[in-house]
Amino acid sequence: MSSETNDSTATVLRDNAEVAEVLGRQYSAGFITQIETTGLPPGLNEETIRQLSAIKHEPEWMTEWRLSAYRHWLTMEEPKWAHLKLEPQDYQKISYYSAPKKKPKSLDEVDPAILDTYDKLGVPLHERAALAGVAVDAVFDSVSVVTTFRKQLADAGVLFCSMSSAIRDYPELVQKYLGSVVPPGDNFYAALNSAVFSDGSFVFIPKGVRCPMELSTYFRINAQNTGQFERTLIVAEAGSHVSYLEGCTAPKRDENQLHAAVVELVALEKAEIKYSTVQNWYPGDENGKGGVYNIVTKRGECRGDDSKITWTQVETGSAITWKYPSVILRGDRSVGEFHSVAVTHHYQQADTGTKMVHIGKDTKSKIISKGISAGKSNNSYRGLVEVKKSAAGARNYTSCDSLLIGKKCGAHTFPYMEVKNPTAVVEHEATTSKISDDQMFYCRSRGIREEDAVSMIVDGFCKQVFRELPMEFAVEAKKLMEVSLQGAIG
Amino acid sequence: MSSAATRSPFVESQLAAPASPLPGAGVPWLDAARREHLAAFAEAGLPTKHVEAWKYTALRALAQRKFSTGDAQAAARAIDASAFALPGVDGPVLAFVNGVFRADLSQLAQLPDGLELRPMSQALREDPEPLRFTLSRYEPEKGDVFVRLNAALAGDGVLLKVVAGAKVAAPVHLLFIGAPAEGDVAWHLRHVIELGEGSELSLVEHHAASGDQRHLGTTCTDIVLREGAVLHHAAFQDAAPGAALIRRTKLHLGARSHATVHVVELGAALARHDLQAELVGNEARFDTRGVFLLHAKQHGDTQLAIRQQALNTTTDSVWRGVADERARGVFRGAVLVEPGADGSDCNVQNKNLLLSEQAEIDTKPELVIYADEVKAVHGATVGQLDERALFYLQSRGIPQAQARGVLTAAFCRTVLDDLPNAELRAYLGDRLVAQLPA
Repeated sequence: MSSETNDSTATVLRDNAEVAEVLGRQYSAGFITQIETTGLPPGLNEETIRQLSAIKHEPEWMTEWRLSAYRHWLTMEEPKWAHLKLEPQDYQKISYYSAPKKKPKSLDEVDPAILDTYDKLGVPLHERAALAGVAVDAVFDSVSVVTTFRKQLADAGVLFCSMSSAIRDYPELVQKYLGSVVPPGDNFYAALNSAVFSDGSFVFIPKGVRCPMELSTYFRINAQNTGQFERTLIVAEAGSHVSYLEGCTAPKRDENQLHAAVVELVALEKAEIKYSTVQNWYPGDENGKGGVYNIVTKRGECRGDDSKITWTQVETGSAITWKYPSVILRGDRSVGEFHSVAVTHHYQQADTGTKMVHIGKDTKSKIISKGISAGKSNNSYRGLVEVKKSAAGARNYTSCDSLLIGKKCGAHTFPYMEVKNPTAVVEHEATTSKISDDQMFYCRSRGIREEDAVSMIVDGFCKQVFRELPMEFAVEAKKLMEVSLQGAIG
Repeated sequence: MSSAATRSPFVESQLAAPASPLPGAGVPWLDAARREHLAAFAEAGLPTKHVEAWKYTALRALAQRKFSTGDAQAAARAIDASAFALPGVDGPVLAFVNGVFRADLSQLAQLPDGLELRPMSQALREDPEPLRFTLSRYEPEKGDVFVRLNAALAGDGVLLKVVAGAKVAAPVHLLFIGAPAEGDVAWHLRHVIELGEGSELSLVEHHAASGDQRHLGTTCTDIVLREGAVLHHAAFQDAAPGAALIRRTKLHLGARSHATVHVVELGAALARHDLQAELVGNEARFDTRGVFLLHAKQHGDTQLAIRQQALNTTTDSVWRGVADERARGVFRGAVLVEPGADGSDCNVQNKNLLLSEQAEIDTKPELVIYADEVKAVHGATVGQLDERALFYLQSRGIPQAQARGVLTAAFCRTVLDDLPNAELRAYLGDRLVAQLPA
């Protein structure tokens, strides 16, 4: 688009009252919920960790696990390799625990303000959940508030609860699998998380069980100066199947809030885990003030033969996204997939991608990444495909497309391919382009408004990934995209 | 960072006084620049694999080795120049043995009109002042310690200039011979090449050996293309099997200039080539074609880095790699499109063949795009020959082994297709095929 066209587009947009209204629409999950919370004062040392562990009535081994992670963390430095402008964090200013004061025993006792919060966010906690067919674990600041459908799930043999209850109720399972995919010292943020994680979801699907409903977690940061450090562990035993959804929001605040989560998935023989995320943390305002730092270590291990792990993510929020959902393909014939749409606008920065590590024979991986940058944002795909010597017959296909909307944004691709087996086939292709004038002209000549045309073209660009999302999430994702890209043209 | 106590044997060996005084020694500004670069090199030490640019090329073994600083006998070593003639390359020759200019092996009589060509050592002895800006310029590129080492210890190299409007038809042959010496030698060459406005030049960079040795050579080449200049550059790296060769070639392309670089990498135990291009003028064009063919325990690393900084610039890069036996091939193809560089068109294609269980290929095609009026594409593959093509040839009665040979040869030769010098193209193609496994 020439600069003249750009100017005229801008004028048209400004003149259009309807568009002006749309441009004014903002982050709708940015409200603050007024409830009483208890928490630890800001600061981090061994004593904080002991206190945190004590509040949660954790067994001795868990406290020790946290402390050893903390001691390791002290020896580490914040990674600097990502294509991000990230100010060093002051980890002593963060409160590592915040929880609603009243402890609910059942859903009826949950603070109405919190239920109201989830209601505003559209999380189906009550019977509505039954209609939606989704079991929800909702995490508010640091603790899991409620887990719905526990009984129905238990009948099927599925364990779905908060990580805190899992540590109390199923210590042998937690001990066996926690940290087995992402070791406590894996990286700076994973070590921090291992030391201070407050809560999260635990899912265990026993042998041969197909989880009867979609499982879902909704994360929300509410309190000021808190970091959210949740930890999710999903174990799918041989022949089982589970689909898991994750959504996130936070209130609008001027300070940056840190979210450093760890997600571990274990798929045993012939098991399948589908993990979908719609990430809509507060992205900061149009001047880049505030917003969540979303720094997440997500990794799945296809431990058994013929197992499969699929990551699907739609990243629209966060001031900074640092996230590489990965799959270790250890079992023979195991399959890893990664489908991603990452949208950045204003001053958002995203450095996201995946790692596929092929270890077993005839393992397959597929990576589809769509990056959309608008405003003054930067959006990077960073991925590693590694084929170890043992991975005979490994196959990978990677496709990364970037779409630029505007002159001041950046779209970057950093794929790494390391191949040590001659029977492997690894393919990577990437393109970067903008919405072409031809496409826009065609739509406009058919009477489609500029905003709608962009939305339509972007939707088409992302279709391949949206298809992978469970239906209710696909609808949400599409809406989020529209909201995120408002005002991007012109 | 290394202090005197923790310096590696390699770094320590390079701090020794040169085997023979460096050309230009005693020129105050040059002495000062060399001292500064050497100090910075000693301070930095060799990069580890934690330095992103050296992630896949380990220098641990090199760090433990010692090299004498230059070869005092280089001028006297017996070399048969005719052994290094290349078909189709019949222009002037500038030859160096172990980093020292050899007039007896060069061919500088009757230079074509418009071509200025002489060794840097000569210029430094006669009149160093015009080189002051170039040689004292501080180039602090992150992790680029070999550029430092080169700047500190290079006393010779190629000075080449094509005056504006001159079209030099005969290809200029730059010949770098590694000759066996009493011990392992480290040599360093610095080349400065300038193509004036509207000029045209064909250049052949040729690394060869008169016998096996384990020398380390570094070269730093700066090539400037003024407005409308046209350069055909063919680099043929056929160094000794034991040699280590670390090269950095940097091109600066002015408006409407066009550089085409063909690279064939066959030799050396460790061959690292940083090929960098800055397209600073509107409508500049940069095309690269390259192939490495590695076997035994060879390590080949090509780092292509392109910056498109002006309007309507075009780059097109096609690279192939073959790794056999215990070899490791590394390729990085990075394109940066700067803000405002609208109309940029870039394409990087990298295909690799792995022929053995012990071989490894690491490839990293990168795009960093800050402008929206761009067409940026890259692709990379690692794998084997197309089974269908193999089947087709076999169905026509060609035995499998031969069919593999034909397809592998075709895979490599693709990069030479548009090399304009037909004789050279044929020769390089044959050399590629000869190095393929039987």
